Amino acid sequence: MSKKSRFRQWGHLAWSLALACAVVLTGCGSSETKNQAASQDSAQAAQKRTIKHELGETEITGEPKRVVALEFSFVDALWELGVTPVGIAHEKETDVEGLLGQKIEYTSVGTRQQPNLEVISTLKPDLIIGDLNRHKDIYKELQKIAPTIILKSRNSTYQENLSSFTTIGEALNKQKEAEQRLVKHKAVIDELKKNIPAGDSRTVMLGVFRADSLSAHGAKSFDGELLEMVGIKNAIQDAAEPTVKISLEQMVQWDPDVIFLVEADDTLLSEWKQNPLWNNITAVKNKEVYQVNRDLWTRYRGLKSAEKIVTEASEILYSKKK
Amino acid sequence: MKVDTTAASSKRSSRKAIALFALAAVTIVAAFLGMSVGSVYVAPGLIVAIWTGESSSLSFIVENYRLPRAILAILAGAGFAISGVILQGMIRNPLASPDVIGVTKGAGLFAVAIILFFPHASPLVLPLFAFLGALAVALALIAFARKSGAQPSTFALVGLGVGAVCQALTEFVLVKYPMQANDSLVWLAGSLWGKGWDEIYGLLPWLCVLIPAAFALHRQLDIISLDEHSSTGLGLRVSQSRYGLLLLAVALAGACVAAIGSIGFIGLLAPQIARKLFGNQHRMLLPGAAIIGALILLIADAIGRGVNPPVEIPAGILTALIGVPYFLYLVRVEKKRT
Repeated sequence: MSKKSRFRQWGHLAWSLALACAVVLTGCGSSETKNQAASQDSAQAAQKRTIKHELGETEITGEPKRVVALEFSFVDALWELGVTPVGIAHEKETDVEGLLGQKIEYTSVGTRQQPNLEVISTLKPDLIIGDLNRHKDIYKELQKIAPTIILKSRNSTYQENLSSFTTIGEALNKQKEAEQRLVKHKAVIDELKKNIPAGDSRTVMLGVFRADSLSAHGAKSFDGELLEMVGIKNAIQDAAEPTVKISLEQMVQWDPDVIFLVEADDTLLSEWKQNPLWNNITAVKNKEVYQVNRDLWTRYRGLKSAEKIVTEASEILYSKKK
Repeated sequence: MKVDTTAASSKRSSRKAIALFALAAVTIVAAFLGMSVGSVYVAPGLIVAIWTGESSSLSFIVENYRLPRAILAILAGAGFAISGVILQGMIRNPLASPDVIGVTKGAGLFAVAIILFFPHASPLVLPLFAFLGALAVALALIAFARKSGAQPSTFALVGLGVGAVCQALTEFVLVKYPMQANDSLVWLAGSLWGKGWDEIYGLLPWLCVLIPAAFALHRQLDIISLDEHSSTGLGLRVSQSRYGLLLLAVALAGACVAAIGSIGFIGLLAPQIARKLFGNQHRMLLPGAAIIGALILLIADAIGRGVNPPVEIPAGILTALIGVPYFLYLVRVEKKRT
């Protein structure tokens, strides 16, 4: 109580101090490096920055120009921030073109599962971006080649992918651009959300058919969470994992009203179609089974892909009824 | 089985010794030439220059990838092969190998299990668990074999059973948690990708102890590959000896699996080829199999790197692809001769 009275005496001073603190704190909180940049010469501040990522902290000097990206969503992020990656890990010839919508010059560094360290080292990169799920075990090896940050993409949620984008912005020393792009992204998604009427009770299942199994993307997966956010309900709410392998019986039990189907192999699907259970699924009864692009829906991730996924989903679900 | 003991066979054995040195020389040359293969071609002359201290833009690749992988291939290839020789002698079955008695499968199960229980564990935990998995299988084998008086057939049968259980559980984990299995899948296929000096430092101490131990026991292996009566008659405490040899073989295979994943097939192939070339006497068979195992893995790794860059093919797949045809060819030649 006595303290309080003392503060009352110095009321104005305390208030302005608190205000100043708050300003400084929020400044620090949003970005430490930005604060440095404000107080020092900005070029000098850009020289050495410590970037926090999934496996620790990495010191990055200057603005990386020669970047190697080991996941598609990182390629998307770099491209959106005006950096063309020098090396990209991918499986198919058409992957990068499909992701970015145009051809670019880059060096292929092997598959995402087993990127080729030799090729990466010959590119003399100044930054490598790896995925936590796939590249945890070669983090040390990558660090020997160049400063490396490990972020979440594969088997991660939409929000986690967004925060990976923010970190890439920091690593490139392009925080502002990244922030603006995220604002724009949110606006795009909000705009698309308007096309989706509230109160639609239909549940959607995202299923990837392989030769021997069906993996369903639940509410915690990248595309599942994204669609939930704009008001499209996922049929699988309580799965332990973002992606779960399910049987025909489980599919009947979850009974989706709509199926977004990715057909990587038609062996299993044609087998299921013979099964009377298949015709018991509401989506099949109502003829609401739609083919969607596998690469876009399950492999690319990233901001641009998120925007395309929501566009495609709302077109499929609501264009007929408009 | 033939055991060369007479003076008349000394000429034959010196010829074998020469063959052994020749094979070792071939292996060293193969290691050297293999180092130039990969996504970037490094001319052999340039490798020498890099060694003698001349720096080049490619010295990073040679020092960090090509050289450690060549060394690791030699070490692990030899380790798997010796493990196979010991198991074949001890179980008295030419088809025994670390794969068949379930050792590599136990290691595989433990390795995928850590993705379940310790998803955020450091990469160092995986080899440790793999090694523990191999040991666990060995203990299970011993526990079962004790009741039957350490009969060789018991080891083989129990090994097959335990191996099958481990494999089934591994499959289960992979089906249940498909998205977390990335590292384990690469590891299960058996590959030198991403391996380097750290793995060499992890493996070398084990091999420095276990390989000399295996060589020191070559007489015991000769005796134990005879039938039960003869080996007992020659004064060997058969069951104790079997447990000891089993642990030795499992430790060897476990250490190698921990370093580079399950390329257990070399443990069957290399001893078989060595038997054709050097006979069944372990004094020659052990080093012969070791060199052949090293050679197979060196070639498999170099081809895996060079055939379709920048994509790599796991050495475990290539050992089967190149090893098996040669193996079948040897079997055919042998049949024609008799």
